[in-house]
Amino acid sequence: MKTMEEVLQDWEAVIGLEIHCELTKLQTKMFCGCKLEFGAEPNTHTCPVCLGMPGALPVPNKGAIENIVLAGLATNCDIEKHTMFYRKGYMYPDMAKNFQTTQGPKAFCMRGWLDLNVDGRGAQERLFWQDLAEGETAENITRTADGYVAHVGITRIHMEEDAGKMVHIGGGEGRITGATHSLVDYNRAGTPLMELVTEPDLRTPEEARLFMQKLRQIFLTLGISDCSMEEGSLRADGNISLRRRGTTEFGTKTEMKNINSFKALHDALAYEICRQAEVLEEGGQIYQETRHWDPSKKHTVVMRVKETADDYRMFPDPDLAPYDLSDEFIERVRGMLPELPDQKAARFAADYGLSAYDARHLVDHRFSADFFEAACAAAGDRAGELAKPLANLTLNDITAYVNANEGIDFATTPLTPERAVQLVSLLAADEISSKQAKEVFAAVLEEDKDPHAIVEERGMKQVSDTGAIEAVINEVLAANPDKVEQYKGGKTGLIGFFVGQCMKAMKGQGNPKLINEMLAKKLG
Amino acid sequence: MAQHVTERDVRDIAEYTRIHLDEDEVKQMTIDLNDIIESLKPITEYDLEGVVPTFHPIGSLSNVMREDVEVPGFTQEEALANAPAKQDDCFLIPSILGEGGDR
Amino acid sequence: MSELFEMGIREIQAGLAAKEFSAVEVAQAATDRIEANDFQDGGVNAFLEFTPEMAREAAARIDEQLAAGKTPSEIGPLAGIPMAYKDNMNLLGTRTTCASRMLENYESAYTATCVQRTLDAGAIPLGKLNMDEFAFGSSTETSAFGPTRNPWDLERVPGGSSGGSAAAVAAGFATVTLGSDTGGSIRQPGSFTGTVAVKPTYGVVSRYGIVAFGSSLDQVGPFARSVEDAALALNAISGHDALDCTSQPVDTDFTANLAEGVKGMRIGIVPAFMQAQGLTPEVKDKVAEAAEHMRTMGAELVEVDLPNAQAAMSAYYVLGPCEAFSNLSRFDSVRYGYCEPGHKDLGGQYEASRAKGFGPEARRRIMLGSYLLSAGVYDTYYYPAQQVRTLITQDYTRAYEKCDVILLPSSPRTAFKFGEISDPMSMYLSDMFTVSLNIAGNGGMSVPVGLGVDTNLPIGVQLQSPQFKDENMFRAAAALEQVYGKAPIAPAFARKAGE
Repeated sequence: MKTMEEVLQDWEAVIGLEIHCELTKLQTKMFCGCKLEFGAEPNTHTCPVCLGMPGALPVPNKGAIENIVLAGLATNCDIEKHTMFYRKGYMYPDMAKNFQTTQGPKAFCMRGWLDLNVDGRGAQERLFWQDLAEGETAENITRTADGYVAHVGITRIHMEEDAGKMVHIGGGEGRITGATHSLVDYNRAGTPLMELVTEPDLRTPEEARLFMQKLRQIFLTLGISDCSMEEGSLRADGNISLRRRGTTEFGTKTEMKNINSFKALHDALAYEICRQAEVLEEGGQIYQETRHWDPSKKHTVVMRVKETADDYRMFPDPDLAPYDLSDEFIERVRGMLPELPDQKAARFAADYGLSAYDARHLVDHRFSADFFEAACAAAGDRAGELAKPLANLTLNDITAYVNANEGIDFATTPLTPERAVQLVSLLAADEISSKQAKEVFAAVLEEDKDPHAIVEERGMKQVSDTGAIEAVINEVLAANPDKVEQYKGGKTGLIGFFVGQCMKAMKGQGNPKLINEMLAKKLG
Repeated sequence: MAQHVTERDVRDIAEYTRIHLDEDEVKQMTIDLNDIIESLKPITEYDLEGVVPTFHPIGSLSNVMREDVEVPGFTQEEALANAPAKQDDCFLIPSILGEGGDR
Repeated sequence: MSELFEMGIREIQAGLAAKEFSAVEVAQAATDRIEANDFQDGGVNAFLEFTPEMAREAAARIDEQLAAGKTPSEIGPLAGIPMAYKDNMNLLGTRTTCASRMLENYESAYTATCVQRTLDAGAIPLGKLNMDEFAFGSSTETSAFGPTRNPWDLERVPGGSSGGSAAAVAAGFATVTLGSDTGGSIRQPGSFTGTVAVKPTYGVVSRYGIVAFGSSLDQVGPFARSVEDAALALNAISGHDALDCTSQPVDTDFTANLAEGVKGMRIGIVPAFMQAQGLTPEVKDKVAEAAEHMRTMGAELVEVDLPNAQAAMSAYYVLGPCEAFSNLSRFDSVRYGYCEPGHKDLGGQYEASRAKGFGPEARRRIMLGSYLLSAGVYDTYYYPAQQVRTLITQDYTRAYEKCDVILLPSSPRTAFKFGEISDPMSMYLSDMFTVSLNIAGNGGMSVPVGLGVDTNLPIGVQLQSPQFKDENMFRAAAALEQVYGKAPIAPAFARKAGE
């Protein structure tokens, strides 16, 4: 198989996502008052409604409607005022009523978009953007200083309900294939579920991954879901087709179902691009089918071929009154909007003088943004002056540490925002060298102590007292008259030798910058 | 009389609705359905241009919602009380993929 | 003095208040009559489940409260009243079978709101009543557990689908019963059994706990032997229910204007209905006679037109099956209901269980609904049917600008014999005067106006009123009752002279 980079020279990938997000922050289910709880004993959170008992009727959860309107406003959607719930019929044992209550042609949220900042290595998956001048736009992308912005359309976000869970028994590794029977647990049945559908505007696996990541960040910021891909509260289906570069017609697409990590989303799409290209280049045909990504084998396999379009017998649910959302309702929800990641990045750049790149990457993760803000708050009046080093510390050292240590996050690391301020202050005041700063950073994490205390204990305070430095310089120069002669004779490279001697005499605690300056002056 | 559905259509519908029909039943059902569908003809002959449908005969009632507050439901025992088959506190069903059981 | 089984609500409550008899005696009288007349071969077969224990316990609780000094009205508006419920209504402690093999062993998992409201009001529950399977039918012959016989002639059907509810009142087994009406399932059996049978405006009574047939058409209402009893029962079960999105905040007292008479009321007559094909002369004469009585009592008769009523039948036979198909998809042998054992694959279990659990009419409607909702067909039938709903609603709105109630037949004919109507299409014509109302969501009721001259069987006339003006039809019905008297118990079950 060709690599994706090779394939994308000749082919353009057209990718769309369908993203399901459970509204886990609510107390109760979509259409009944049963408690939402992950991991409870089987069938302990059910009632006549979510168990589909004869005669039961649904009543929508107001909190869920507020949540989806929030999600729509945060993703630049139009809020559709007149909508209805529909019944989508298919018989499957995890669907208690054998129809899913969902929305019809009009969803609560329509016609939204998100802009993705693509930079670094990820940007390399897309071709030709380097040909653009900064600020120039072509197709759906605009060139930036260090990459490009992709404008991605959101078709709709609709409200529906999740299905129950099944355990398959008798097949290999709990798979449905080969299972002799299955067990059904309806605790999850009726969980409020949003489905977001994008336009086919994504062109690379990296863009798909970034979209998913950005959306997750927004939903986390809104506080409407825990967005756990592991527990299935955030799930992605990816649709992908290829077309020859320069053509505009869509090829036949395949669908990748229930992808459960960002990496898997990227890798599954990347694999599928290569697989489809190979099939097409050998004169074969792509079938419209659902495929399953196997992360251990790093390939996709067919789950199901769609011969005809599914016929779900959709019709408006007669049990549910239609929606006629008022401006007042929508404005009240708008008032509940927190600061969104893009807004936060813009504020970081404006208020703290950070680069757009730093600001953006700080807000990539809510915790790093929160940490940075807490540190700036702790810095008080000095926030403006310390913001840049605090941003660097957050983005580089702390992020690397948190990523490398499972179970540790920004909120639980011993390096509190206050300690971060101490650390960068020591550095800024030249009280420690940047090399020492690394040591202090490591020690804080290891010993859970303040940077001040560590510097004190280890006696590693940088000496910037000019009197003390001058005394040492004088000693070193007096002890090496020959070298002084050579230096004055033009061998200025000897400055390094003098600095080294001074540092040695000061047990490494001299301020190298000061020593350099003063030596240069003395040696004239 | 017009043939609205064929026996083949009826077999498809039977499969979709998950109701087994034997061959005689398919024949009779085809006759019955065609009779009934033929009687629905008036609805196809109406001039309904521009008429807004009424999906809910409830006047202007809209936006019916409940607060997000927990209400006690079934105990596990109550939930499973009517189950034809159960195991490990779950509803028990035979193999889904056994025969045409794919989603 | 009347026997207990003959009494209306006020009479029973007066007797309880005066300590002439106890609630347990009321319950005992009812259960004795049911045991004597319902179950044996050739009996009425109104009850699918009989709950004498539950009745006795409920009655004993009423007696305790009476003994503690409470009056019946303090206990509840239905205190001490023997009642029974169509078997599509969930009641904890009973099965809810919908007269189907599919739900033969389904134990109600909860209690329907309307049933609970009668219990809270002090009713004595006697049991669950026979019906057409899943309410698909107009004769109660599609019940999987044998048809109910019409107390007026045991060779004839009681109508349907609420045949058991109608027969139980006509035979004097219960003072009040509840039924449900999707296309005439209360009013037509009301006419066949000579009982007062009310289908209120959609949204007046909660549907929570009623096994759904056509969700946008179904409505619960009472059967009784007097207009006042029906009004009192409706008072008890009506009103907003937070568990039903389509229920409305109704606090009408349906007894308020029963004594007002019809003087000054405008009674709408639809000439086209009186010329309808299939309408028997004796029914037509009775409607004309009732109209004339009302005119004599000071009402004004006005001609009104419901030009789209023709399309209503088609719209009904589109909407009903579509909603039924969807509502009945939950019966899949997984969580409850009939499950044919021994299948190794779920598909086989589904198909066998649904084939054997559902009777022929249920299968027909499910398959029809599935076809009508399928891609490409939806726009030919379902969508136009919902547009026709708009036209019918507008027709009614225009008609009610000219009148306060509309008077028309409840059924084109009197009760027919078992097996007399066998093909589905002819059976569907039983609904010709009733379905428009369900499509518009308005209220209507059947009021007995004596026996037909040709068949000597009960005939009811139908009174319809605008949405949420159900009190109008009660007022007109009470006036007709002045002329025709309260609904009698069917002669074969009535007290014989000298008893």
